[in-house]
Amino acid sequence: MHAFTLSELEKYDGKNGRRAYIGYKGRVYDVTDSFLWKNGVHQALHQAGKDLTREIKNAPHGEEFLKKFPIVGYLLDDKH
Amino acid sequence: MAKVAREMVERAGIDVDKLVELLIKNAAAELTTYYYYTILRANLVGLEGETIKEIAEVARIEDRNHFEALVPRIYELGGKLPDDMKEFHDMSACPPAKLPENPDAKSILKVLVEAERCAVRGYTQICNMTAGKDHRTYDLALAILNEEIEHESWFSEFLGEGPSGHFMRRGETSPFVSKFLK
Repeated sequence: MHAFTLSELEKYDGKNGRRAYIGYKGRVYDVTDSFLWKNGVHQALHQAGKDLTREIKNAPHGEEFLKKFPIVGYLLDDKH
Repeated sequence: MAKVAREMVERAGIDVDKLVELLIKNAAAELTTYYYYTILRANLVGLEGETIKEIAEVARIEDRNHFEALVPRIYELGGKLPDDMKEFHDMSACPPAKLPENPDAKSILKVLVEAERCAVRGYTQICNMTAGKDHRTYDLALAILNEEIEHESWFSEFLGEGPSGHFMRRGETSPFVSKFLK
C-alpha cells in the first residue's frame, strides 16, 4: 500500500486525464471512475487531490459513500 | 442577470459562481431524471408495476417542474445552461437513473429511491449553503426539497422501509414548487 504525502496527493487532482484521489481519515481513495467526480470535482464544491476529512463532516452524506471506492494507499501526516 | 440580487448574495458571503454551478448541476439532474423516469415508468408493467406507475409519473412530472423552476434563478444569478445537451447530461448532480438489467418492479423502485435520495442530499446542501444568506435560492431549494422528500418516502414505502406518512397527490402536482412556475 502506497504512502502519500499531502503534496504527492495533490498530483492526483483528476484534471487532464490524471487519476482523482481523495484522502479521508488517513486513507487514500480512488474516485476517478465515479460519475460524481468528473474532472476531479464533486458537486462543484470539493476538489480531488486533497484530504477531505474535514469537508465530509459538512457534506449531506456520511463516510459510507466512500466504501465503494478502492483504497490505493494511506496518507502520511504533514511532518513526514 | 439580476445585478443587485447577485451582489447581495455575494455580500452575504456566498461564492455565487459555485452556487450557480451547483444549481446548473441540479437542473441537469432534474431534466435527465425526467428523461430516465419516462423509461422507468414505461417498464412498470404487470400487477406490481401498475401499482407504482402513478407515483412514478407524479415524480417524473414534478422533477421536470423542478428543472423549470431552477432555470430562472440560474440566469438571475448570472449563470447559463450549457449550449450542448450532452455536456448538460454529463454534469448532472446525480448519476443517471437508468433502467436496471432485470427491470422488475422492485429493481426499478431501487433506482427511483436512489435518485430521490441523491436529490434530497443535493437540495439539503443548497439549503445549508443559502440559509439566511440567499433568501430566494433558499426558498426555491426548500420547496424542491419538500417534494423530493415526499418522492423518496413514496418509493421507500413500496420497498417495505416503512410508511411514507402521507397520502399521494390528488390530481395536482408540485404543491410546494408551483409558486415558482407562475
